[in-house]
Amino acid sequence: MRTNKITPYLFLLPGCIILGAFIFYPMLQAIWMSFTDYNMITEPEFVKLDNYKNLFNDELFWKTLMNTFLYLICVVPALVIIPIFLAVLVNQKLRGIAFFRSAYYIPVVTSLVVAGIAWDWVYKENGLLNYMLDILGIISEPIPWLTSTDTALFAVMVVTVWKGLGYYMIIYLAGLQSIPSNLYEAAQIDGANWWQQVTRITIPMLMPFVLIVSIMSSIAAMKVFEEIYVMTGGGPLHSSETLVFYIYTEAFDRLNMGYASAAGVILFLLTLVFSIINLKFMGKDNTK
Amino acid sequence: MMRKKAKLISLLFIIAFVLIVSACGKEETKEDGNKQNDDSKEEITLEFWTMQLKPTFTDYIEGVIADFEKENPNIKIDWLDVPAADLDKKILSAVSTDSAPDVVNLNPTFASQLAQLDALVNMEEAVADEDKDKYVKGAWEANRIKDITFAIPWYLSTEVTLNNKQIFEEAGLDIKNPPSTFEEAREASEIIKEKTGKYGYFPSLDLSLVLQHMVVNGAELTNEDGTKAAFNSKEGLEMFEYFTELYKEELIPKEALTGDQRETIDMYQAGQVAFFAGSQFISQIKENAPDIYKNTVPSEAITGNSGKKTMSVQNVVVPKQTKHEKAAVQFALFLTNAENQLEFSKLTPILPSSLEALEDPYFTEAPEGAEASDLVRITSAAQLEDAELLVPPMENYDELRQSMYDAISESMLGKLSPQEALDKAEQEWNEILSK
Repeated sequence: MRTNKITPYLFLLPGCIILGAFIFYPMLQAIWMSFTDYNMITEPEFVKLDNYKNLFNDELFWKTLMNTFLYLICVVPALVIIPIFLAVLVNQKLRGIAFFRSAYYIPVVTSLVVAGIAWDWVYKENGLLNYMLDILGIISEPIPWLTSTDTALFAVMVVTVWKGLGYYMIIYLAGLQSIPSNLYEAAQIDGANWWQQVTRITIPMLMPFVLIVSIMSSIAAMKVFEEIYVMTGGGPLHSSETLVFYIYTEAFDRLNMGYASAAGVILFLLTLVFSIINLKFMGKDNTK
Repeated sequence: MMRKKAKLISLLFIIAFVLIVSACGKEETKEDGNKQNDDSKEEITLEFWTMQLKPTFTDYIEGVIADFEKENPNIKIDWLDVPAADLDKKILSAVSTDSAPDVVNLNPTFASQLAQLDALVNMEEAVADEDKDKYVKGAWEANRIKDITFAIPWYLSTEVTLNNKQIFEEAGLDIKNPPSTFEEAREASEIIKEKTGKYGYFPSLDLSLVLQHMVVNGAELTNEDGTKAAFNSKEGLEMFEYFTELYKEELIPKEALTGDQRETIDMYQAGQVAFFAGSQFISQIKENAPDIYKNTVPSEAITGNSGKKTMSVQNVVVPKQTKHEKAAVQFALFLTNAENQLEFSKLTPILPSSLEALEDPYFTEAPEGAEASDLVRITSAAQLEDAELLVPPMENYDELRQSMYDAISESMLGKLSPQEALDKAEQEWNEILSK
């Protein structure tokens, strides 16, 4: 009897230790560091709220924060909605459908560095995209996708969406396959058409998965880094620089680890707030 | 009873957590007497990190290590090769956790940042005068900041322009007289654009290269004691205007603004650019684009009002955390001695920092049937006398170069006039320099 009470906790112990050592401890360490002037080599010096004060007075911080929000606003809806339709498409019982499932998933397993370089070629002034648009008569002169302050951030967003679609599609696919087929059979008997089945059965039943995808894609959008690092380096003129890139530059290029930690803490709080909002509004119906 | 057990279990979790955390934590105490007397014959192992030399130079490095271990049987070298992009971060985390390697191949920019934090051995004190004199003077002095010489120079390169003969001919330009000044580069670019539709010049402007261009054009970056910006001058303005006009007139690719050197080399290899400064990429071009390589004619670096040419230095540093400083410096000197440098230079288009190695005919006489890589080497070595490290190590260097890069970007993108951008950069530099 006694052993049985302890056993569940013992099962939890390894997970708790790993979480503690690799998640909670670094998190607490970062919060502590955000109140210090620390360069990773000399001893940290306690500077109270100076890092936060300096952050709020730093124009670049606000710019990168705005870019991060822009990323969130544009990328998350795309990553929540488009994969639903892809999942519905690849959920059909057709010959060779496994090929399409794999094809949509390939970007997920492609290294971001490789993807970044490949997209770089697509976006170049004389690259594939401008060539196609020119052939179709849509543009008269090449658009500098990655070298204009107006387009660079959006061009990178497309890569994030392209890379994430397959991943979220698989989550939705799992959701679709968990919907009992007798619901569709009943709907067909009642005369519901395909669209009615999608909107009245599929989407409502997928809501818990939408919530997961929404939270996951929000977090992914807020911590976007590699695409920007590889494709634009945050430029031109910081127009594609997001908060994580800013944190990286401050931490590793300028060795302002305390300052970067303060920015990291703010990012953490923002991510937390967004996740709570997501849970609050979208999770309401699913908790019943 | 249940509550008691739950409390006990919670306590267990906390103890386990604290144990893990303290195991992960940084060692607070560091042995003071850790500078072992390397004269003793006790066996020691030195950790040696290089920057992306495997697999191309594996045999060479292993050969050097074997020779050193033969001469010094009590010293073993443990070699680790790190991808170039990761080295700064890896060395930083190693230093911050008191586990720095003993000898590291590091670029001067990052090494100077570590030196500012007193993390590297001062070679001025650790190396005997007769050994210091064996290196190219400019290369030795390039590693000096605040009276500390933080590294031993390993290999050097000077900027050599690579010209695509085929594009020159298509444009009716004489390949025997390729552009050698900024103005000639502009004129050639205009003709090439008009006649072939291709780009003539592709100056990569990523970060520190803007500063180098300023100096090449004759602008001083700071006043003598490094406390105020001094580039807001006729020469500085000329440089801002020059690149802004080239960009606006589409005489250089748009990627010049955001692209790194990878963009430049890609376009040159694709035959879309007629000339660029890229001697270090000659082997890559030979391998990736043999047709372009066959048409490549190297020439002296393009320069501005000052006539100066860029020298780049790759270093070997010894972190202060080493427990075997004497042996580490000894290995660094062995790695960079004339014999080893000469052998290394024959494997890749670099120049030795050893004066003795530079006297070898390999750097002065072109072999029969010389190809582009031979000419790059000869041209590069011939320029060494006029070349210098144009941007010396400076405190808060990353902020300074970013500020200048932002300013020229604003000018090129038309957000500010060249003069306004230069004024803005001057103001920012003064703030950074006064920190």
